[in-house]
Amino acid sequence: MASEKKEIAALLSKYQEEILDAWHRQLIVRSNSLMEIIGLTEAKSFTQGILEHFITLFPLAETENDENKSYREIDDLFSDLSGKMTSQNISPSEIAVFIFSMKEAVFPILQKYIDNKDLSGAIISAGRLIDRFAVNTFEIYLNTREKIISEQQRAFMEISVPVVRVWHRIIMIPLIGMLDSERTQLMMEVMLTALEDTQSKVAILDISGIPVVDTLVARHLITAASAAKLMGAECIITGVRSRIAQTLVQLGVDLGDVVTRTTMSDGLQLALELTGQKIGE
Amino acid sequence: MKKTENNKNPSRAEVWEQEISIYEDIILARQKVKVMMQEMGFSVLAQTRIVTAVSELARNIVIHAGGKGRMSVCEVSKTGKRGGLKCIFEDRGPGIENIEKAMQSGFSTSNSLGLGLSGAKKLCNEFYIESFLGKGTTVTIIEWLP
Ligand SMILES: Nc1ncnc2c1ncn2[C@@H]1O[C@H](COP(=O)(O)OP(=O)(O)OP(=O)(O)O)[C@@H](O)[C@H]1O
Ligand SMILES: [Mg+2]
Repeated sequence: MASEKKEIAALLSKYQEEILDAWHRQLIVRSNSLMEIIGLTEAKSFTQGILEHFITLFPLAETENDENKSYREIDDLFSDLSGKMTSQNISPSEIAVFIFSMKEAVFPILQKYIDNKDLSGAIISAGRLIDRFAVNTFEIYLNTREKIISEQQRAFMEISVPVVRVWHRIIMIPLIGMLDSERTQLMMEVMLTALEDTQSKVAILDISGIPVVDTLVARHLITAASAAKLMGAECIITGVRSRIAQTLVQLGVDLGDVVTRTTMSDGLQLALELTGQKIGE
Repeated sequence: MKKTENNKNPSRAEVWEQEISIYEDIILARQKVKVMMQEMGFSVLAQTRIVTAVSELARNIVIHAGGKGRMSVCEVSKTGKRGGLKCIFEDRGPGIENIEKAMQSGFSTSNSLGLGLSGAKKLCNEFYIESFLGKGTTVTIIEWLP
């Protein structure tokens, strides 16, 4: 079998040009938009690379492939290919067509030059390797996508904490998203620095942008409030909607002497009172 | 993340499964449960309660079970009666030595508020916890439509 596979590989190597031509014709017919986007020259560099590796890998035992250097090289090629496709917004099905259309280029050559009795075996093993290429490409494509998504997520998390000086000696910090330990740390630093810089006496932390207020968020809010107290300032938590208040009570969270208000304007009203100020009639 | 169809009742018994290993997974878990509850017609208050419980239980997996766990969510129904939502949190962490103690409000081995488990129990209609030392912990919660 091994020698037969070698013979088949030699055959494919001999008719490389013919196979590539047929493959490109398939691509132009079946995957028009892809060819338009990446262009024939670029596509040719991929098809050529893939076919070369196919010829090297084909004679090897199927179980050996994974550790093979050539296999790693082709993975690089696939990641190059899917990287290009991802950045160009090419759909996954078009990537599948790109690989699978190789069958229509390789099989006719096998049909033409291999005896009938050996033909089905040859087609099955060639088909299997092409399927494997397709699976790998697809996996790499998905990984690329996932990486992009998690990078975007991280970027979103890192949006800095804004401080608004709403009134003389009153600052406001709108909190959004997930208040994990890192963001809390950042929020605390921002709040304490702003209290000091602006000589403010009240910090309003607005939590209407926090989707879930659980014990972790509660603990962070309590910590923030006591840190503000240490600086002689007062913390007011606003945006505590009734369903959140009810949930916190059921959870058993005691916000202690942290002052809360339902709306921003209630919070501001209180802040003005605490700092002995009034908004003109 | 995986979505599997339950063959017994293909019409609507869909099970959503998700790995819980890092903080971002907690966000995804909460979002999934919220959307399902919205679709099932739960009140906003019920949604807030259950999503908070989900947040606590998923976070316990990340913090106390080394992120080796998963959540699965599915619709359930009492024979012919009202429907409900069931969430199962299953982990392969160290397990809990003394469940009774862990369920007390204020008990924490991580210097936290220690309100996650006791709170989650109060936030939903049904709450079951099972834990084997060295094997892991499973918490199941159910919320019924009114
Ligand atoms: N999935 C789990 N695996 C192992 N131990 C757990 C698990 N969940 C909870 N525990 C144990 O039970 C204790 C109580 O859990 P609980 O969620 O009530 O409080 P906490 O996580 O310590 O603090 P909080 O949730 O209030 O931030 C934990 O400190 C931990 O020792
Ligand atoms: Mg907890």
